[in-house]
Amino acid sequence: MTVEQILFYVMSAIALLSALLVVSQKNFVRSIFLFFLTLFSMAGLFVFALADFVAITQLVIYVGGVLVLMIFAFLLSNRELLNNPDSSKQQSSFLHYLPGILVSMLFFGVLLFVFSDLHPESFQWIAQSELNTLKPQDNTIHYLGINIMTRYLLPFEVVSVLLLMALIGAAHIARKERDR
Amino acid sequence: MDFYITYILVAVVLFSFVAVFALFAVYAERKVSAFIQDRLGPMEVGKYGSLQTIADILKMLQKEFIIPAAADKILFAAAPVIIFLSVYMGFATLPWGPDLVPTALNLGVFYVFAIVSIEAVGILMAGWGSNNKYSLLGALRSVAQVVSYEIPAGVAIISAVMISQTLDLQEITMKQGVLSAVSMKFLGFWDVSEIGGFFAWNIFQAPHLIIAYVIYFIASLAECNRAPFDIPEAESELVSGFHTEYSGMRFAFIFLGEYSMMFLTGMFGVVLFLGGWNTFLPNVGSLRLADWTTGPFWGVFWIVSKVFIIVGTQMWLRWTLPRLRVDQLMNLCWKVLTPLAFFCMLISGIWQLLVM
Repeated sequence: MTVEQILFYVMSAIALLSALLVVSQKNFVRSIFLFFLTLFSMAGLFVFALADFVAITQLVIYVGGVLVLMIFAFLLSNRELLNNPDSSKQQSSFLHYLPGILVSMLFFGVLLFVFSDLHPESFQWIAQSELNTLKPQDNTIHYLGINIMTRYLLPFEVVSVLLLMALIGAAHIARKERDR
Repeated sequence: MDFYITYILVAVVLFSFVAVFALFAVYAERKVSAFIQDRLGPMEVGKYGSLQTIADILKMLQKEFIIPAAADKILFAAAPVIIFLSVYMGFATLPWGPDLVPTALNLGVFYVFAIVSIEAVGILMAGWGSNNKYSLLGALRSVAQVVSYEIPAGVAIISAVMISQTLDLQEITMKQGVLSAVSMKFLGFWDVSEIGGFFAWNIFQAPHLIIAYVIYFIASLAECNRAPFDIPEAESELVSGFHTEYSGMRFAFIFLGEYSMMFLTGMFGVVLFLGGWNTFLPNVGSLRLADWTTGPFWGVFWIVSKVFIIVGTQMWLRWTLPRLRVDQLMNLCWKVLTPLAFFCMLISGIWQLLVM
């Protein structure tokens, strides 16, 4: 195995394990900090997919933004409430988990079915893409910029308008109400 | 396998540089504060107290790890490491001289910007893990401040990137000195590609970047949690903020993180706006000062001395200016710096289209 492969497996293992711990952890705050680990190793996996821009964007948006906001929401709520979440329902724990287990198993089954049924080499566009792939030393940001400003300009602008709406909405909600 | 050894060696060299820098920056800080307040500062250990911080670190190494009984032990122990690592990883893409850069990433600017924002998570971890209301309040204040000031800083950085037309920090530096492959114009009218020196720095290639640099500098003070933006550790209100409960090596790590953050933000600003490792001496006729003072060793010398000046300014400001209140701080960020930064970005676009 090359070093890249070892790194890939280590990062995937960290991502999977920490994601499992995030959902099984009783302590809410710890699971949020573990989520940080999941996102970080996911960013590493993105780098292996030659999507370094996506990896760094993931860090900026999820780690620097979303995660910090989530932690804020938790820190501002009651600590006692966080430590024992609805302890009254602990008796029927298995029944409690059943729907979740069912849904995840079904989803896993669907994924497995698709994987076994799919033959990537049979698609023509995948066979053709051999000549049209990125190399690690390519300047991906260059292609991204050109594509966003030409082929994907409309979705890009629509997303920015959506974000602007969210921003204005947030500012409006946070504003002090005038005395009448 | 050889290049893996090089990678590790580079990382070790950078770490030792940062550690030594932090040690002597603490000493310098104490001497600067003493000078400003008309005191002597540390005088006992070594000549003029120059070994004071080494004695301090020896003391800290021997101290016991104290974990408060009510603290969340894992978070408490992990926080200083995350705070330091987030800063230390930022050094990976910063160029030190021509051909002297750990990794010439084509997303360098974006990478540093992203990595630095991880520090906020470490600070929150420290604040929550300590289970102390002063720590938690300090952490909340610190993160609110860091997240807000990232916006003017980011927009100011973008306005510099728009002039340089690349996100690779090494290329940005290249385009500000005699080694540049493209032509550079001082203030947009005088071609200085052969002259170099300070005329070719970004802030003199496009003068509105001076404003952008000032915005970036103010925002970097806030991101380092330094006075006048030190409400996260306001001694008179919060003991010492998010690191109240830390002692020994962990405290040392938080301090190491703080001082390397000063160096990192200073260096990042120098690379983007002040010519990075380029000399400030221009070529004057047959006196090829710029050519003579460009090279790997000169590069390290120039960038380190520039960053020292910036860090010195940060210290000077810390001991001269009073602390801002929370509402003043947010007003300054959202109502003054952010619009100004956007204005700089607008001028950058026009400048790029019409002048360059």
